[in-house]
Amino acid sequence: MKALAYLILTRTKNKILALRKKPGLMILYAFILVFIIAFILYQIFAPKLSTTKMHIDQRYMYMFLSGFGLLYLFTFTYSGISTGSTFFTMADVGLLFVAPISTRKILFYGLLSTIGKSMITSIFIFYQIPNLVDTFGFGFRDIVSLFIIYTVMIFFCQIYSIGIYIFSNCNQNRKNIVKTLLYVFFAILIIATYMISQKEQVGLLGAVRLLVDHKLFGYLPIVGWVTMFLKGILTGSIVNAMIALALFLVSSVLIVSLLTSQEADYYEDVLQSTEVTYQRLKDYKEGKRTSSNINRKVKVMDNDKGLQKGKGAISFAYKHLLEMKRSSRLIFVDNITLFTVIGTGIAGYSIKNEWGSYVILASLIYIQFFITIVGRLKLELVKPYIYMVPEPPFKKLVAASVSSLLKPCVDSIFIFGALALVGGASILDCIFMAIAYSSSGAVFLGLTLVYQRVLGGQPNKVAKVFIGIFLMISLFTPGVVVSILISFFVLPESLQFLSTLPYSIMSLLAATIMFFACRNILDNAEVSQGM
Amino acid sequence: MLAVNNVTKKYGKLIANDNISFGVNAGEVSLLLGPNGAGKSTLIKCISGLLKFTGSIGICGNSNKTLQAKRDLGYIPEVPALYDMLTIWEHMEFIARAYSLENWRDRAEKLIERFELDDKKKKLGSELSKGMQQKLSICCGFLPQPKLILFDEPMVGLDPQAIKELKNMIIEQQQAGNAILISTHMLDSVNGFWNSVNIMMDGKIVTCRKRNEMEEAEEDLETLFFRITKREN
Repeated sequence: MKALAYLILTRTKNKILALRKKPGLMILYAFILVFIIAFILYQIFAPKLSTTKMHIDQRYMYMFLSGFGLLYLFTFTYSGISTGSTFFTMADVGLLFVAPISTRKILFYGLLSTIGKSMITSIFIFYQIPNLVDTFGFGFRDIVSLFIIYTVMIFFCQIYSIGIYIFSNCNQNRKNIVKTLLYVFFAILIIATYMISQKEQVGLLGAVRLLVDHKLFGYLPIVGWVTMFLKGILTGSIVNAMIALALFLVSSVLIVSLLTSQEADYYEDVLQSTEVTYQRLKDYKEGKRTSSNINRKVKVMDNDKGLQKGKGAISFAYKHLLEMKRSSRLIFVDNITLFTVIGTGIAGYSIKNEWGSYVILASLIYIQFFITIVGRLKLELVKPYIYMVPEPPFKKLVAASVSSLLKPCVDSIFIFGALALVGGASILDCIFMAIAYSSSGAVFLGLTLVYQRVLGGQPNKVAKVFIGIFLMISLFTPGVVVSILISFFVLPESLQFLSTLPYSIMSLLAATIMFFACRNILDNAEVSQGM
Repeated sequence: MLAVNNVTKKYGKLIANDNISFGVNAGEVSLLLGPNGAGKSTLIKCISGLLKFTGSIGICGNSNKTLQAKRDLGYIPEVPALYDMLTIWEHMEFIARAYSLENWRDRAEKLIERFELDDKKKKLGSELSKGMQQKLSICCGFLPQPKLILFDEPMVGLDPQAIKELKNMIIEQQQAGNAILISTHMLDSVNGFWNSVNIMMDGKIVTCRKRNEMEEAEEDLETLFFRITKREN
């Protein structure tokens, strides 16, 4: 155990010391720490001013928590069916698994490490302290409880995933059983929601709110247990909170027993998952993996004809089209398009006021920022070819950007089509909002180039975020302001659909300027190591 | 064919390449040796035009940033840089199209045949083993028929047959009058065909020797390397 204790302590110590080289992260941690301390002090010393402030129904918090639970249940069940989960890193596999240390001790070490990682993952909850206090009226005990149960949920999900893997590994029938049970679970929830809505004569949201508050819901694995715990804490029913924790604990012990039973060799069970996790992390760091290509098995057909077109710089554009075809049969329409369309449809259906469409457009543009920064141009900049191909740098830059410029245009047709169909927005409004969305995509692409030009090949992530936010505000503010002014003071009611046009024109102008300013970037920049 | 003059590359305060000058002539295989962290890969990336530097680098008389220099240059990186979603054959097609090559198909077929990849033409980059990725990376580097080829640890991950084939290809390039610069730690594998050697330490070239000079002095590559890098036991 000495070696394992040494490993845990030394790794923790080195991680803390390494923060000296990552000032951005250190500031973030310090900020969170100050936040927590300030909150505790406030809770202790602040006078209880008023108890009359109205807070949102706490059942919304149960809904959020159950939503996360459902997402994790689904994700970890599927990872259990394919590769399982792991408590270990590749270094553990290479150095610990072959060392003369008891496998149980190593497992204990793995569990401890996983608890630590789960706690770090859950730290974002403290970042939400103002919202939790203001919206739900949470106190210190409630927030700590939320943090604990969220950590427990993430930790348990990893054990659960390994349990599923041990149960279903190399056995298609068992995999099918697991999948069927998962679908039945979801079907039960849908049916229960429907029955409640019929019985209580409430809408979808009301039915879900009643469902998560139901006593029996608390006994459902993961989603129910987390809700039962938090509900127990918030309502002062410690017994319920303890039952929920006990359910997590007993299930964990059962799965770990299965893992360490004589038939199971957990080294083998976690090996593949450790390798897959390592590769995924590596791909993320190198910018290879995007949300649209995760877990997709690609099959190359015998009649696949390759690039077929293009000579010189434009080959990059045709290569991107081929790669996109491999990622999604509909080329530009992928999972991101699908999720965005569904989200827009729901938002359009729910928000039907005068400014609703503009709020949705603003949200979509904000989300687009994160989608565009992992585009194909960025992937191209981490490989040597774009720098080495004997073509003028501007031609290569434009060719490598074509797919990223076209994607928002294609996406916008579906997204704003959904807004018109489901949300009832006018067709003309939707057309001009689609133009605004597409032109924002061009601006974000331009920003990718500016990063490379301003920050070089290995930009600091914190600097990137700050410069990104600064540039985004600087670039979009004039367009938004002009659009609002024209909308209020120039355009008559019948031409209000043109209100986003000034924004679109200014965005396109900004994108053009950025592209032109960065036209020689491929000759002047350095190959990026995962921008 | 390759003229490196006063090249300096800094990463912040770290000087990775410190005022380096050397050259490689046509028909010459030049070695770049040195311990880990000596700055070999950085220098090769500077020559390839992938990193910014001060000083000048000429390829066949043109600055390494010019289009003509890019046409004359082939680079096989230490870590193969392939596209996950392209097959082996599509990598060759992409290179041919990007470099605007004519009549490349037979040459591409021969290259992948020499590296025993011909039965895996439909395999995606993401499906290839490390060794196969390295083989494909070499094929991509050779396809445009460059006059100067830079290799950064080319033998790593290759099977004996591929190593033998690569050696033959390097000798063919040498005989065809092309220039080759190889950065490697595997001294035995390059013993048969090198013409000059540059040994790097702490970002500087500390020794440049021609093969005939060393043969006259009855000194072999390994002895020289250990003597220079002070690692001789």
